[in-house]
Amino acid sequence: MNDLAPAILAALVISIMGGALSVFVVLKRLAFIGQGISHAAFGGVGIALVLGVHGATTMGTIGQLSIVVAFSIAAALWIAALSRSHQGRIDTAIGVVLSASMALGFVLFTLAESKHDHDDHGHAAHGHEDQHHLIEDILFGNILATDWTKAAIASTVAAVILFVTWFNRRRFIFWAFDQPVTDAYGQSSKRTTNTFLVLLALAVVMAMQIAGVVLAAAMLVLPGAAALNLSSKLRPVFIYSILIGTTGAALGMTIGINAGYPAGPAIVLTQSIVYLITLITKTLAPKLRS
Amino acid sequence: MPPHEQPPKQSAVEIDHVSYTYPATGFDTDSTHAIDDVNFSIEQSTKLGILGPNGGGKSTLIKLILGILQPTNGSVRVFGQTPAQARQQGLIGYLPQRIEADLDWPISVHQVVALGRACRIKPWKKLSADDNAAIDRAIQLVDLQDLAAKPIGALSGGQLQRVMIARAIAGNPKLLVLDEPTVGVDIAGQQRFGNLIDTLHKELDLTVILVSHDMRAIAATADRVACLSRSLHFHDTPDGLTPAVLAQVFAHDVAGVFGDIHIDAHLAEGCDDPDHAHQHQHDYGCTDNSGGGES
Repeated sequence: MNDLAPAILAALVISIMGGALSVFVVLKRLAFIGQGISHAAFGGVGIALVLGVHGATTMGTIGQLSIVVAFSIAAALWIAALSRSHQGRIDTAIGVVLSASMALGFVLFTLAESKHDHDDHGHAAHGHEDQHHLIEDILFGNILATDWTKAAIASTVAAVILFVTWFNRRRFIFWAFDQPVTDAYGQSSKRTTNTFLVLLALAVVMAMQIAGVVLAAAMLVLPGAAALNLSSKLRPVFIYSILIGTTGAALGMTIGINAGYPAGPAIVLTQSIVYLITLITKTLAPKLRS
Repeated sequence: MPPHEQPPKQSAVEIDHVSYTYPATGFDTDSTHAIDDVNFSIEQSTKLGILGPNGGGKSTLIKLILGILQPTNGSVRVFGQTPAQARQQGLIGYLPQRIEADLDWPISVHQVVALGRACRIKPWKKLSADDNAAIDRAIQLVDLQDLAAKPIGALSGGQLQRVMIARAIAGNPKLLVLDEPTVGVDIAGQQRFGNLIDTLHKELDLTVILVSHDMRAIAATADRVACLSRSLHFHDTPDGLTPAVLAQVFAHDVAGVFGDIHIDAHLAEGCDDPDHAHQHQHDYGCTDNSGGGES
């Protein structure tokens, strides 16, 4: 069980961070941007792989994360810039970035693989298997493989994200509530958008450790979406969201470990079920009261 | 502003030979000339109505006063400072044309009004007693104290606009900018709006700029009027708006006038000529939505 301690710590801090950010993501309608960023990160992983930077050592882990984070932030800011030049058509921007990065990622993976084949001749089959595992981990996450290095990085990054979000809480709330007027009130909406997207890109890369490219964005949407079904007051929404995020992560981890399911998908599935329950509660509660 | 002697009363807004041209985008080569050599100043405590057709550059002028756009030529000063500086100090309150805020938000009337002040509070601090007093006063001035704790989604359209006015004054501004505030509101509603602005004007010693294409909205709120149709000049004449002047403003690119308003309903109908407004929109391609920075 001690082997799992870093995994549990990482899941906990990442889900607290996801809970807090997801409220803004849902209220500002950025759910799809999260998807765009996480898929863009796949391109970043491809670049790290081709450069030969991988997570076997502490420095390798940090190096790989840095490359992926840099790539994700660039993608997030590029999405923001594209959507500004397309008069706010953010879906087009995400569509472009998401598919381009995925395509880039797969091309680079193949490139890295052929390099690998070339390097050690007789072990080509083994290399393929590694590659498949690696891609599967990147796509769906492998939280149980988290070591203390990764857990420490996740905790630090999550703490920074939470602090910056708290520090900018009024700015973010104003921006998410009524962006068109914030410039007139002395808050650059462009700067606020970029700040939030950088945080979101960092958060998505952290969530990828748990749930992978395909499911990471879900952790930055589901808790907030569920919490908004439960309250129409700002403070309680944030508290519920964090509680739902962490509870979902804890339950999902437990189920995943004990039943042998992959933990990432189990966490996302648990949070989805919680979301469904809150949706039913929201629909039924007024009827029961009357 | 030209270097002449200090006027006895400081100007709230000084627009010095300002032009603004929207840059061409992408492969388009035509840039849009939105306003041309506009030159005027607004004395403190004035309630100025700026009347003009759609596409006459009203929203551009507002964005220049707010410092969201920088003039292509000329300069804008607000209380002797750049608009950005004035805004940073909370000297400007702004009521947008349309309420684009997300009304499904889990946020109360009090919290929305607080946002108007929040940008001036240090991030690590809570709202002080002063802040709360200003927020409560703003809510009281627009007569929403009974609804302060209500979620924003529970309010009617008229109440919502009063929330946004309270948000605009919560930061104790000295200048209040109102962008087409009474579109689609009936005459009684415009009169109520005018009365509310009048109360705020007196209570808070505000300078008010109201921009509208609707003569009645201007008449209900402003005590002086200027006409803007791409260019505007301030002539300090006591004459009211005459039908001839209005015809010029709405049909041609013409100099404006201001003075005490005395308008009758007949004139107001003539002022709001949709054909001419439409024509202008074609001519200058500058609608009220242009230049928005949404993403």
